[in-house]
Amino acid sequence: MGTVHARSLDPLPMHGPELGVQADDIEAPEIEQEPKQEVLENKDVVVQRVHIDGLGRTKEDLLSYEIAEVFRANNLIDVMRRSHEARQKLLRLGIFRKVEVVIDTSQGEDALPNGLDVTFEVTELRRLTGSYNTMVGNNEGSMVLGLKLPNVFGRAEKLTFQFSYGTKETSYGLSFFKPQPGHFERNVSVNVYKVTGQFPWSSIRETDRGISAELGFPLWKTNQTLKWEGVWRELGSLGQTASFAIREESGHSLKSSLSHAMVIDSRNSSILPRKGGLLKIHQELAGYTGGDTSFLKEDFEIQLNKSLIWDSVLSASLWGGLLLPIGDKTTCIADRFYLGGPTSIRGFSMYSMGPQSDGDYLGGEVYWAGGLHLYTPLPFRPGRGGFGDLFRTHFFLNAGNLCNLNYGEGPQAHLKKLAECIRWSYGLGIVLRLGNIARLELNYCIPMGVQSGDRICDGFQFGAGIRFL
Amino acid sequence: MSLAAEAFVSQMAAAEPWPENATLYQPLKDDQILLSDHASSLAVQAYLRMCGLPVQVVCRANAEYMSPSGKIPFIHVGNQVVSELGPIVQFTKAKGHTLSDSLDDVQRAEMKAYMELVYNMLLTAELYVQWCDDATAAEISRPRYSSPYSWPLGKILAYQKQWEVRRKMNAVGWGGKSLEQVYEDVSQCCQALSQRLGTQPYFFNKQATELDALVFGHLFTILTTRLTSTELAERVKSYSNLLSFCRRIEQTYFEDKGS
Repeated sequence: MGTVHARSLDPLPMHGPELGVQADDIEAPEIEQEPKQEVLENKDVVVQRVHIDGLGRTKEDLLSYEIAEVFRANNLIDVMRRSHEARQKLLRLGIFRKVEVVIDTSQGEDALPNGLDVTFEVTELRRLTGSYNTMVGNNEGSMVLGLKLPNVFGRAEKLTFQFSYGTKETSYGLSFFKPQPGHFERNVSVNVYKVTGQFPWSSIRETDRGISAELGFPLWKTNQTLKWEGVWRELGSLGQTASFAIREESGHSLKSSLSHAMVIDSRNSSILPRKGGLLKIHQELAGYTGGDTSFLKEDFEIQLNKSLIWDSVLSASLWGGLLLPIGDKTTCIADRFYLGGPTSIRGFSMYSMGPQSDGDYLGGEVYWAGGLHLYTPLPFRPGRGGFGDLFRTHFFLNAGNLCNLNYGEGPQAHLKKLAECIRWSYGLGIVLRLGNIARLELNYCIPMGVQSGDRICDGFQFGAGIRFL
Repeated sequence: MSLAAEAFVSQMAAAEPWPENATLYQPLKDDQILLSDHASSLAVQAYLRMCGLPVQVVCRANAEYMSPSGKIPFIHVGNQVVSELGPIVQFTKAKGHTLSDSLDDVQRAEMKAYMELVYNMLLTAELYVQWCDDATAAEISRPRYSSPYSWPLGKILAYQKQWEVRRKMNAVGWGGKSLEQVYEDVSQCCQALSQRLGTQPYFFNKQATELDALVFGHLFTILTTRLTSTELAERVKSYSNLLSFCRRIEQTYFEDKGS
């Protein structure tokens, strides 16, 4: 029996969990159907040895979990399939640049006649990798310097450091990630960060210094995340012209919160999916573990996608959230919800609707937003099968509302408040997908149901982002 | 604030009369406010009372961060926010309320000089005692300053503040001074003020000015605030005309309204 190389398989992108898992977007390459398939399939084989060549820092015990399945194979097709799966698992660890699989007949004294040796030839990533980017946005330019130590202790632990030096603000973050050997989805991570942001729609400047610890694990069909976060938040008004309501929010606060997130994602891609749905539920309880901020925050996100004729997709989403203060303190502007802008309710300016004071938007304690999209390929489909497939045209209808709740009124009054004065908008535009992470939109929007105080963007609106309604 | 902005503010201010709902913001009176902030706040309150301008005092834990200059106190009048005595005097002047109009140029220069003396000596001494004297800082200043915040944020902010003040003391050359030298400076300052006051009811005879408000704010606070040591108050008490000056202003402007 000759050597079968499995290296024709497409390499998978290296990705860590922070980029979001996109493996589901990549269609699993089909094993090439050989003409001799029947013969091979029926032939019983035994995998005698599995070698991993090219290991340096990586500890072998970590890999033994990932390749254990290969030993269970009992015919050649099975060996190839399991080897391919093991290869994918190895690449998913994010510690190898390249993994090649070589399957050969067993050699040596104890070789069985039907024995096979599987060799994984791996190339480890460098001990330290660096990146350098420049970013422009929000009237600010910044330089982002990233350092990554993949596989610090040899068991797929990852240490990342990111430093962003801007014309106005400086931010940094240090994060340590450790997966459980053999169960990559079960992982812990610890983060330390300082992030500064300027939010011109609220005339506010926020500096967060925090630490967080996170535990992620799969449960049935869901991904669960438990997190504790301690943040020291410093709010200040942006310039002398900030309204007095913003001034009153200035100062320091300490938030210590426990949060839980649950995600069920059956979509084939996180950006421009063709089918599947998404359910995300997030809840946060602040104040019981210390700090001087107390609230309960609940929010959810639902998205459903359905393929129609001519490659068009109908997509519907619904978001909602509620922020309940605990105790007699009112909620902080940094915790409230914001709505509007090219990534949520199009046709309105960024986060410029709802409660406001002298043109500074204060956010709301409860919100809902819904969107209906019809995505179609570009008219006449230029660049089909290549560059043109990154684009879609879409027709959209967005609606939503954001307000504060007076907790004396009872739930009936709250629902009524959310149902009256609904902001909505419709329009059409072009969507460009950037990798599997972000998308750009250029839309012509017609905002409707505008309330006094809302800032609108009637006509063309450009948007870029990760999360879209 | 830039000159242009200041000019704009005073123009805007002149257009509107003094509203009924003017507010003065300061830190929490019972648990948080420190000697120097209380003195500055009292000086502004005295000044506004001398002008006959009503103001409501509101205590906020984050007053320091609400203030446009980061200093206590500040007033919120109509749409305007103005902090510290100097700019507030300018602001009321733009609205047509002033105490120093009857002074001639020489007296006005003298008044400015004495106000500088109070800022440079009394206020700096207060800050020194609060943050550079270890006993006062540990027993009074840091616990009070951090009182509105939960652990460990309060500790961080208090040490941050202490470090900031100490750096400022070094910059003005007070870093190397001993507590005794600072008390001596306070004595000298009081000596100068006492001589200038003499037997007059106010520094410029019958008419109370912003200098009177400023001196009253600081001396009255020093006399009535309990610190780890009474030395600071003792130094002031040895000037009897300053004591009666404080009593006079208290009786004239604060009695039966409460301070």
